[in-house]
Amino acid sequence: MEDKDTQKVLEIVREFANIGAGSAATALSSMLDTELMNDVTTVSFLPLGEVASWLGGPDRLVAGTYTYLCGNLKSGILVVLPDDSAKALLEHLTKEEVDLSCLTEMQKSALREVGNICLCWYLIAVCRMINIDMIPAPPDATVDLLGAVLDIPLASLGIKVDTVIAVHTSFKGIDRQIDGYFLMLPEESTLSVILEKMGELSR
Amino acid sequence: MSAPVIVGIAQLAICHSPSKLSCLGLGSCVAIIMHDPVAKIGGIVHVLLPKAPNKCDREEKYADTGARKLFRELTTHGANGKRLVAKLIGGSQMFTALDLSIANIGRENSFMARKVLGELGVKIIAEDLYGHRGRNITFDPANGFVTVQVTFGPTKVI
Repeated sequence: MEDKDTQKVLEIVREFANIGAGSAATALSSMLDTELMNDVTTVSFLPLGEVASWLGGPDRLVAGTYTYLCGNLKSGILVVLPDDSAKALLEHLTKEEVDLSCLTEMQKSALREVGNICLCWYLIAVCRMINIDMIPAPPDATVDLLGAVLDIPLASLGIKVDTVIAVHTSFKGIDRQIDGYFLMLPEESTLSVILEKMGELSR
Repeated sequence: MSAPVIVGIAQLAICHSPSKLSCLGLGSCVAIIMHDPVAKIGGIVHVLLPKAPNKCDREEKYADTGARKLFRELTTHGANGKRLVAKLIGGSQMFTALDLSIANIGRENSFMARKVLGELGVKIIAEDLYGHRGRNITFDPANGFVTVQVTFGPTKVI
């Protein structure tokens, strides 16, 4: 892809990311019964190997929700919340003190659901933009070191994926800033389908 | 003392005492550590997958080729192959609810590491494998000790 095209595609991705962030904020707001606004959204295309440093280093503590697409398009999808953002969201949702080191089944399920909602709304934004349906498998969530969370995406996709679509959104609400990262890890063939569709939009 | 050298995924490093080596955020990856207690030299290879494909892109990425390369590197840099001992750390299952064949790749990484170390004649003297948590580790070739910090868990020395 030429630089000018990359710029155009990045602009389009930023547009979908903003829409996704807006929908995710609305969905989370109604789930949390509070006003959550999406503040700043940034988008980058990253090599898979640089994801860990982009997210703050492999020994950073994060909540990760991971899944993959069913169907013809092949992609991993990872939602990452920094530990303090995950704690704030969970405490607001469950109305109790949350210790990330020993989550109860209820809290774990809540975390999975928060990750799932973010993931689905971003994904829906992508689907609408390129007019292709994408259906994710049921996700799983864990709280651990970022490096450890990234191992499974790397192991299952490392051979076939080089470019990651990385979106960072800051949400404002619950008296603080909440950060969320949405990462799409498409296999090469899927990435070219997405880029092609977006390229058509940019013309 | 200087900070330990970080060994990332699909990387290999060897060092003499008093330098140290470290791996951050080991999940399903396995750190294969070899140490020569007399020469006080040792190394880590941080492997992601068990078995290298026929067209191998990077030996350090796979448990079978990675362990062999570490053995070669150490013996050409002054370690005695007969004195080498090994420790294995990592191999966790990070996501348990996913319906993915690769979800328990950590166990396969561990099995392959053990198998190849057996073929190389390197005895495994300590292991901290499996579970569902990540680990940070630091290896000191002066005495062969490995400090393992399990996420939300205790720090232990093996």
